[in-house]
Amino acid sequence: MSDPINIRDLAVGSRIVLGSGAEVEIVSNPKDGVWLFARYLASADDPAIVGQEEMIFAQDVVEVRS
Amino acid sequence: MTMNGTRGYYSGLVDLATGLISREIFVNGDIYAQEQERVFARSWLFVGHESQIPNPGDFFASRMGEESVILCRDRVGSVHVFLNSCRHRGMKVCRYDDGNTTVFTCPYHGWSYGTDGALVGVPFFREAYHSELDKSKYSLVEVAQLCCYKGTVWANWDASAPPFLEYLGEFRRFLDLILDGWDGREGQVELLGGVQKWIIPCNWKWPAENFSGDTYHNISHRSVDLVGAGPSGRSRRDYNELAATRKLHVTIPDRGHQTITYVLPKDHPPQAVYQNSPEVAEYFRHCEEERRRRPGANSRLIGAPGEVFPNLALLPRQPRTLAVWHPKSAHETEVWRFFFVDRDAPQQVKNFLRDYYIRYSGPAGMTEQDDMENWNYAHAASRGVIARRHPYTYEMGMGHAVENYEWDGLRVPGRVVDLTKAMASEEPMRNLYRRWAQFMEADSWDELMTWRRDALREAEAAE
Repeated sequence: MSDPINIRDLAVGSRIVLGSGAEVEIVSNPKDGVWLFARYLASADDPAIVGQEEMIFAQDVVEVRS
Repeated sequence: MTMNGTRGYYSGLVDLATGLISREIFVNGDIYAQEQERVFARSWLFVGHESQIPNPGDFFASRMGEESVILCRDRVGSVHVFLNSCRHRGMKVCRYDDGNTTVFTCPYHGWSYGTDGALVGVPFFREAYHSELDKSKYSLVEVAQLCCYKGTVWANWDASAPPFLEYLGEFRRFLDLILDGWDGREGQVELLGGVQKWIIPCNWKWPAENFSGDTYHNISHRSVDLVGAGPSGRSRRDYNELAATRKLHVTIPDRGHQTITYVLPKDHPPQAVYQNSPEVAEYFRHCEEERRRRPGANSRLIGAPGEVFPNLALLPRQPRTLAVWHPKSAHETEVWRFFFVDRDAPQQVKNFLRDYYIRYSGPAGMTEQDDMENWNYAHAASRGVIARRHPYTYEMGMGHAVENYEWDGLRVPGRVVDLTKAMASEEPMRNLYRRWAQFMEADSWDELMTWRRDALREAEAAE
């Protein structure tokens, strides 16, 4: 299990990978340490979701790409 | 010997025919629990001021009775008041005093709510809930009624309660004395500094009674008068301008609100006030002249301590402040004191007033310390089994209030006691406890809105 990522530090525009393997770009960070607002860039499981914005739960974030 | 009852409220504890009120209503835990439901869950309660949340996303964590609530402005600018409790397991979703946010996130399991109260984030919504949870059923609990009046925000959990201005009735003009600009323009005030919060070891009805218009306890403040803590270096307030006035107790019987007020004679010129600062004195002289030029009877009223039922105290003039007596237990009250100032007053005036206000009121205020000594020790001395057998007397001035009071061409609403010679009365306290007992006994707002029944009867009689 990888180290937990402190999502409070993530800037708008950062690209992150979720547990499902999907890649999203942060569009807003309320800095509550629990949620991010992000737009899907790629999702092998559900390609239809690409382009949509969703709230991302901190425990779903597994990697910061940039 | 009469044994103390351990049961809760019953009719007769407030006996206004004799002027006797049982100590049980102050110290009995069962009665305290009942009044949370019957008084606080049905009354209009002061929540805050719009100047505390000027921008979208701004919030202020407030209270209604024992409950924590969030006053906030959503993304489109609408004002809301929500119960500060997650719909999943009840954890507070907001644990800051104030701030700005896009979401309120519960730290327990991570449920998250927008500033409009909608549930927007549920962890593992797809995986654990299989996308089956109906999020629309679990928004933050919102108050049944909300009213923004001249910047102040009021809320009520009871959808059957009358609208706020009807609840206020003719007391509105006395509340206006604090909310309007000192020059008479409508709704010109803003909050000065933060909210002072502290806990006192007494029942909430002690300060509520005191601020209803207890002039009898002025001896308690003798030391502050002798020190000369007032804004002109004498006494604790400016009293020169009061010499020509009539001093009144005004009660609104069917609403439960009451106040002290001073009525100026017609064409009375402004008097010298705030003499410790020439600039501040000049500001108020100018404002008083402007106020007298504006139409409306309030230019002849000078505000003084009063109470909007059940737990909001107003002090419109010196100092200019609202206080909320939040109940914590039968034996504890959390006081929140808000100070106000004319929004467009010069900074020098605001600075002067801030210094005067906190010298007078709040936990470090000299006058409020006098009051707390009285409330706290009186409460403690009323808790014992022997003490509880002996009711308090509220007999002062019984039968001496009048309706349709008029002086020098100005009619004053409600029931009035002229204190100019009488010095003191307990009419405001009887008014407070009459209304409190009505709330404790009435099962619905239909029973409490006696004025609507009276109006209906009058209309039927006229047909």
